[in-house]
Amino acid sequence: MRLSLLLMVFGGSLAQSSVVPSWSVGGVTPDLPLILTAFIALRRGPEAGCLVGFAAGLLQDVTGGGLLGVQALSRALAGFAMGLLPGRLWVGHPLVQIPGLVLLTVAEGLVRFGLLRLLHFPASIGEFLAHVILPQALYNGFLGAACVLAVELAHTLRGRHTWT
Amino acid sequence: MRFRRYALLLAVLLMSLFLLTVQTRGGGPTRAADLVALAITPVQSLLANAHRGALTAWHTFTDWKTVQSENMALRADNERLRVQSLQVRETDQENRRLRRLLALRDRMPLATLTGEIIGRESGGWARSLTVNRGRTDGVAQQMPVIVPEGLVGRVAQVRSGASIVQLLNDPASTVGAVVQRTRTPGLVEGEPGGGVRFKFMARDGAGVVPGDLIVTSGLGTLFPKGIPVGRVTAIEDKGSALFHFAVLAPAVDAARVEEVLLLTGQSTQDIAGLFTPDG
Repeated sequence: MRLSLLLMVFGGSLAQSSVVPSWSVGGVTPDLPLILTAFIALRRGPEAGCLVGFAAGLLQDVTGGGLLGVQALSRALAGFAMGLLPGRLWVGHPLVQIPGLVLLTVAEGLVRFGLLRLLHFPASIGEFLAHVILPQALYNGFLGAACVLAVELAHTLRGRHTWT
Repeated sequence: MRFRRYALLLAVLLMSLFLLTVQTRGGGPTRAADLVALAITPVQSLLANAHRGALTAWHTFTDWKTVQSENMALRADNERLRVQSLQVRETDQENRRLRRLLALRDRMPLATLTGEIIGRESGGWARSLTVNRGRTDGVAQQMPVIVPEGLVGRVAQVRSGASIVQLLNDPASTVGAVVQRTRTPGLVEGEPGGGVRFKFMARDGAGVVPGDLIVTSGLGTLFPKGIPVGRVTAIEDKGSALFHFAVLAPAVDAARVEEVLLLTGQSTQDIAGLFTPDG
């Protein structure tokens, strides 16, 4: 199971820099590693979410050519926070998962922006929120919904198959 | 359990902050980053290539689908246009035929009635056309039926809304005619084989030669004088027989006739000049 997690994180992070750019809509791309981190955190708790977020963020830092540690930190926090939700909210329903993913993307973006501001990142928060964080959050919401539907369908098909 | 959880978070945060601090202070874990990059770059390029290949395949497929659907649409367009073109040509031909028929009607010194062919009988026993004009239109038996090229035949039967026209090449058809050039009289008869012959009286042939035009004689009251019947294509010499026969090419190809004029009036005038060689 740990190997599959590792492969998901590795594959998701690499896909983010190779495959996902072609899914761009109006210059906005989804954040596949963050979506994976969120779903893993919801299923496996804050520790797994934190570690997966850290690893995925670190890989993105490496592949993206930015400062090592920015995304690692923001995603580790995001994964940890998302992993804490199941004890407090009923997160099994897609109507909770998808808005949660959108909010998580916004929160992670704000944390990342805050970290970068500490390191003298020049852009303004309003501009960044309007052009990067919110559109990506919405795209993540759509993609997350599609992933949830795909997983549900796969479960249904598998159940039908074993039943017959 | 809870302590462990937050300890892990703290460790991860510290690790990240350490990485950031080292980088911002001018040094940096570039070596580590280089090592990670060294490991992941081949996988990245493999993924990118696979993705590019999949995209190319997908674009090829969509292009093919597009071309295929365009091809089908163009084929359908082509079919539609071809049918339209045929319809236009058909209408054009009908228009020409009707114009010629109307021109002939206007030139005629006697009353006429236009009719449309609605049926054909071309077996060996009888050769006839059915015209959509009948008793209610004033059609009577024996009325001559013509087209711009010449004589088609005569009305053999009249019904309430239609008439049967006996064609020149009907085996029972007989029309009094003359050779236009020599005025040699004779009879034009239909043959069981579908041909038409001109039976003339003179034993010496009276100078009839292939190419001569045979027109109605106007003798009797049935046909006006001068309606083209056919052209001589050959003279059949029967040796000791009393009569010579001229084989005719009918002036009218009855198989192609679609509209006709029924001559409802009478005239003693020679109307040969109203018919032109091409109708």
